[in-house]
Amino acid sequence: MSVAEHHVLDVRNLTIALPAHADRELAVAGAGFSVNAGELVCLVGESGSGKSVIAQATMGLLPLALRATGGQILVDGEDVLAAKEGRLRELRCTRMSMIFQEPMTALNPVMTCGDQIDEVLATHTALPAAARRARILDIVHDVQLPEPERMIASYPHQLSGGQRQRVMIAMALVLNPRLLIADEPTTALDVTTQAQILALIRELQREHGTGVLFITHDFGVVAEIADRVAVLRQGEVVEFAPTKELLAAPAHEYTRMLIAAVPSLTPRHRSAVASESIVLRTEGLSKTYARGWLRREDAVPAAKGISLQIRRGETLGIVGESGSGKSTVARCIARLIEPSAGRILLDGEDVAKLRAAALRPFRRRVQIVFQDPYRSLNPRRTVGESIVEGPMNYGASRDAALSGARRLMELVRLDPRSLDRYPHQFSGGQRQRVCIARALAIEPDLLIADEAVSALDVSVQAQVLALLDEIRMRLDLAMLFITHDLRVAAQVCDRIAVMQQGRIVEEGPVAEVFAHPKHEYTRALFEAAPGRNWSFARRASV
Amino acid sequence: MPAVEAPTAIDSVRPTALQTGVRARLLKSPTVVVGAAILVMILAIGLAAPWLDTVDPAAINPSVRNKGPGFVELARNADGTQRTIEHRMGTDTLGRDVYSRVLYGARTSLLVGVTVAAISVAIGLCIGLIVGYVRWLDGIVMRVMDGVMAIPAILLAIAVVSLSSAGLVAVIVAIVIPEIPRVVRLVRSVVLSVREEPYVEAAISVGTPTLPLVIRHILPNTIPPLIVQATYIVAVAILIEAILSFLGVGIPPETPTWGNIMAEGRALFRIFPHNILYPGIFLALTILAVNMLGDGLRDTLDPRMKKRL
Repeated sequence: MSVAEHHVLDVRNLTIALPAHADRELAVAGAGFSVNAGELVCLVGESGSGKSVIAQATMGLLPLALRATGGQILVDGEDVLAAKEGRLRELRCTRMSMIFQEPMTALNPVMTCGDQIDEVLATHTALPAAARRARILDIVHDVQLPEPERMIASYPHQLSGGQRQRVMIAMALVLNPRLLIADEPTTALDVTTQAQILALIRELQREHGTGVLFITHDFGVVAEIADRVAVLRQGEVVEFAPTKELLAAPAHEYTRMLIAAVPSLTPRHRSAVASESIVLRTEGLSKTYARGWLRREDAVPAAKGISLQIRRGETLGIVGESGSGKSTVARCIARLIEPSAGRILLDGEDVAKLRAAALRPFRRRVQIVFQDPYRSLNPRRTVGESIVEGPMNYGASRDAALSGARRLMELVRLDPRSLDRYPHQFSGGQRQRVCIARALAIEPDLLIADEAVSALDVSVQAQVLALLDEIRMRLDLAMLFITHDLRVAAQVCDRIAVMQQGRIVEEGPVAEVFAHPKHEYTRALFEAAPGRNWSFARRASV
Repeated sequence: MPAVEAPTAIDSVRPTALQTGVRARLLKSPTVVVGAAILVMILAIGLAAPWLDTVDPAAINPSVRNKGPGFVELARNADGTQRTIEHRMGTDTLGRDVYSRVLYGARTSLLVGVTVAAISVAIGLCIGLIVGYVRWLDGIVMRVMDGVMAIPAILLAIAVVSLSSAGLVAVIVAIVIPEIPRVVRLVRSVVLSVREEPYVEAAISVGTPTLPLVIRHILPNTIPPLIVQATYIVAVAILIEAILSFLGVGIPPETPTWGNIMAEGRALFRIFPHNILYPGIFLALTILAVNMLGDGLRDTLDPRMKKRL
């Protein structure tokens, strides 16, 4: 008992079974770790490793299909697995609280933020309304929201993502719980907002002595805030150690692999692009989304005056936060949307204003790979049909297209015999490779990767990045690489352009921009990159 | 060189699908199986009516008017011998055999239901695909559809029937018209969400022309919700046909339908309830079966319902 008293959370030999027909038997297999008061423990692992299941089990929120079959979860010494629903309800918010990944969906859109915090107080305390209001203003002030009065009267959609997450944190901490579970709370946020939220969680946790279980897939975040780290693989804790120790000398092979896969912030040395032939040039490219017709003054500029150029064999990165207009630029260049102004010159020919039929010859030469590998393949068609569609549109015979598809499958390191399989039979990384094969099938000159590795786990991400780079070299492609992740940009780009609010604020060779960022926004981005002081990739550049 | 090598070994791919086939899931659903079984039974009864000991459903016999169920009639053959005819469900005010009329009526009712569903789904699908894809048409066509939807289906049907002579074709047309906007709305909403999917954009960027794009990538997504919608249209069409016939603007009484059998039994309902009772039972059973089938199909085909545990 005496040991358990120090632990705010003590997970012992936890086993949680998956329903029959799942891809493995156990969601969590004998996991054990602990969180002390005033300590921040990171639970890291790739998708499907069981991180969120452990969080749900601790809150007593396991989906009905999952059953805890063994072990204990002691929160402040009390086993929540054995607790009845009524007791769990008492414990939630008072002893353990949780914040979620997507604050927009975790908050009720039809209640003001103040009412939602008040609900917690009204449920768990007997305070009169005036005292509750004072307490709410206090906590809103604590989470550093400006103008607390206005904030508590606002509805979630009126706040920014970072502000919403602060409201979630206020709600979770208003009753001073012993344990805070944060399930990827910054994954949906921009990197600068993420840095602020991480600092806030760290600060509040020190102030209140709360134990924090922080779930993440991002080793940058781990290096930034964790005291201790538990590494989870397929429901098993393979390593549990203090952060410095684990990052410096990972004991388990899997941990070593994960850490090695984290791209370094130090740009990789790349040989200068020899070719002088410019594949793509844009001049003053702009896109304005009109809100309804007639009301011109409400128009929102998503991209403004974008001028860039890419040479054969070169990778240009566009980095920026969400809403900066980088995807709009990519979609304009791929002509999935029509630019409002400016020119898109492909080998000197302007394609910006071409109509559907005239665009067909152009489409051959620019291909795009999208972010979400689960939605970018038609689930009703085999991957083979998806890959041969392009060549057959341009008059290739089915046999020729299929033999081309088999070669491409080998190029992206997939079994050519799996061409007649459906997308759901492939993993996320494999699907993304199929998408790359589809894009390459009509032999484009320019490949656009729109956040193509953002949805992938780090180890898979590293493979796809390496593959993209290899293909670019082998086929002498020009590549436009859109990403929000500076680490990724550092590894694959020759030059980068930094976008903010629809404009390019800085552009230059990667090494130069990373070493001497000129624009203040670029500097802010670098400042905010989690774990920037920790070099993961000692073995990176050769 | 890249920090992590590109995958060198060729990856194997999971050999079998985790999810079981749609057919297997349909056969496991009790509502689908029971609903389909009842429908098949009623269809078989309708088709086999001539061999199920029926007489001419239109034959009038004033001597046996308004007899209760189970009445046995002594009839004289042409050669002077006698035979007996059992009226299992009694006779109506003109002495017609209700049993024969109900069995033959199943043909008309099901024919109307299935035809209406097929035609309205086909037309609605075409319009829906076009307005969902050609954005400038959307505003115009959808306002017309809203206009049609604003008029109650039965009133519209009565108006359409009264424009021409009452008959099977007129009734089918009259029921199809108010059903089309519902199908268009459904198809349009699916098209609007699917056309934003990255795989549709990917198909556009590999140069797929519009027509193949719609047929290959968008149309298949509309099929599962349409199958479900079609079953509801079958049920609604059978009911509206019955109501039209009941109101006397539907199919003429020479062709028996459940609706006009009930309409004719209305006057003497208190004394001879069997004229309404038996066709009513069949009608209710059919609607129940169609709805069960529709619910079951929705649960099985709608991907959102798959997550339900």
